[in-house]
Amino acid sequence: MLDVRGLNKIYASKDRQVEALRNLTFTVAPGELVCLVGPSGCGKTTLLKCLAGLLDPTAGDVLVEGKPVSGPPPGMAVVFQEYGRSLFPWMTVAQNVELPLRVKKMPRARRTELVTDALAAVGLADTPSAYPWQLSGGMQQRVAIARAVAYEPHVMLMDEPFAAVDAQTRADLEDLIRAIWERTGVTTLFVTHDIDEAVYLGQRVIVLSSSPTVVQEDLTIDLPDHRDQLETRALPRFTELRTHVYAEIRAAKHAVLSAAQR
Amino acid sequence: MTAATRPTSRWPSSRRVPPSTMLGIAGLAAFAVVLEVLPRLLQLPSNVLPPLSSILSALAGELRTVAFWQAVQDTVVQWALGLSIAVAAGASVGVLIGSVPVLRRATASTIEFLRPIPSVALVPLAVLLFGTQLRSALLLIIYASFWQVLVQTMYGVVDVDPVADQTARSYGLGRWARVRYVVWPTAMPYLATGVRLAASVALILAITAELVIGSPGLGQEINAAQSGGATALAYGLILVTGIFGLVVNVGVRTLERRVLSWHVSVRGEVTQ
Repeated sequence: MLDVRGLNKIYASKDRQVEALRNLTFTVAPGELVCLVGPSGCGKTTLLKCLAGLLDPTAGDVLVEGKPVSGPPPGMAVVFQEYGRSLFPWMTVAQNVELPLRVKKMPRARRTELVTDALAAVGLADTPSAYPWQLSGGMQQRVAIARAVAYEPHVMLMDEPFAAVDAQTRADLEDLIRAIWERTGVTTLFVTHDIDEAVYLGQRVIVLSSSPTVVQEDLTIDLPDHRDQLETRALPRFTELRTHVYAEIRAAKHAVLSAAQR
Repeated sequence: MTAATRPTSRWPSSRRVPPSTMLGIAGLAAFAVVLEVLPRLLQLPSNVLPPLSSILSALAGELRTVAFWQAVQDTVVQWALGLSIAVAAGASVGVLIGSVPVLRRATASTIEFLRPIPSVALVPLAVLLFGTQLRSALLLIIYASFWQVLVQTMYGVVDVDPVADQTARSYGLGRWARVRYVVWPTAMPYLATGVRLAASVALILAITAELVIGSPGLGQEINAAQSGGATALAYGLILVTGIFGLVVNVGVRTLERRVLSWHVSVRGEVTQ
């Protein structure tokens, strides 16, 4: 479904080169929910932009549904971290969700149906005519998620979508993502810097190293499919997994530090 | 005027501060009284500054003539036509130049050179080209207001949020769809400012053209009244142009508030 092979990205300016991604190879199978976690500044956003076709990699390939990515792939929806800037303030909630469908030239009746369903799915059925800036941060990100859901994507990319909301809202939104994924079976790649979030949400967690980035570990999360904020997080296995990922990330950071000291 | 506005700033906590419309009316009334009393007090000859009452009565007489309304119509038509052409041209050229970086860099210095040329300096050219016809006034009006709209639109287009742009691209919006749904609404507040500035500038140039070139309109009437010794009427007509300017400004602002109800500068409450 999502195939990343030898991905490398070097930002080159006149007299300096920064290697953001060194060599990334991983796949996401159809219908999988995979979390990408890495230390801050490890090039997560760069990777996501390469996957979304918004940035050209220096070397390597990204394949979505078998096709190499050269621009934004048609079956992909992206949820950005900055919901306030990603939603258009001049459009109402419903218009925001509807816009990609309108551009796709979908018939009006079908559009209305998809928008209504998507807003209901994120718990915003009664606010279609509000403007995004009249809503709280968590609700705004729900609108962005509804926009992605209504688009009926084959792949959903999420770039630290809950980094800017408070802890309780974040827990609700995490469960919302699980629920949508269980219902629609959409292949989801969820990028986060939050280790607990990655372990709680994912079927697999891909741990990235510090920049220049490689895949440090590809870990299967063998927790029960039904996740619950209280029960799952209390499981001994959950603690083991998060400790393991934490240790990996700390090791990645130290490797960079000792390399720098040498 | 200052005497009437001062209490608001000096006692901001006082509950019985008159609302701003009341203050505005009071200021206007004070101004009218000054205009009435000052010429009498200084015993100014009536061909320099007649008292307000004679200005108004001269104007009242003028309001009953067909020529006056013809002049008003001429001025309004020139103003509206020139402004519309300038806004259409400025907005479309602005979107084009603003969204193509190469064009932007290539035209920046030329625009900075042409923009500060006062439109009035083009009077000889306009007369040479079109004589005293409507078109020579239009040339001046369009030249002056075009830059206001163009420059504002260009700023607006460049102001597109990168996240908004990436969102649009990731959802498959092509170049044209992005211009329509992202670039245009982003540029709207800037364009509105441009239109507001251009509307005033267009009025100034319309009256100037009528005064200097002699194209038909209020400016020409002012000229005729002044040279005919009808000083009170000349002042009356000047008041009319002032009122016109006021109406234009209020109109554009109302339009702005309606079109930009979503914008930070207009929307009242934010729940965050």
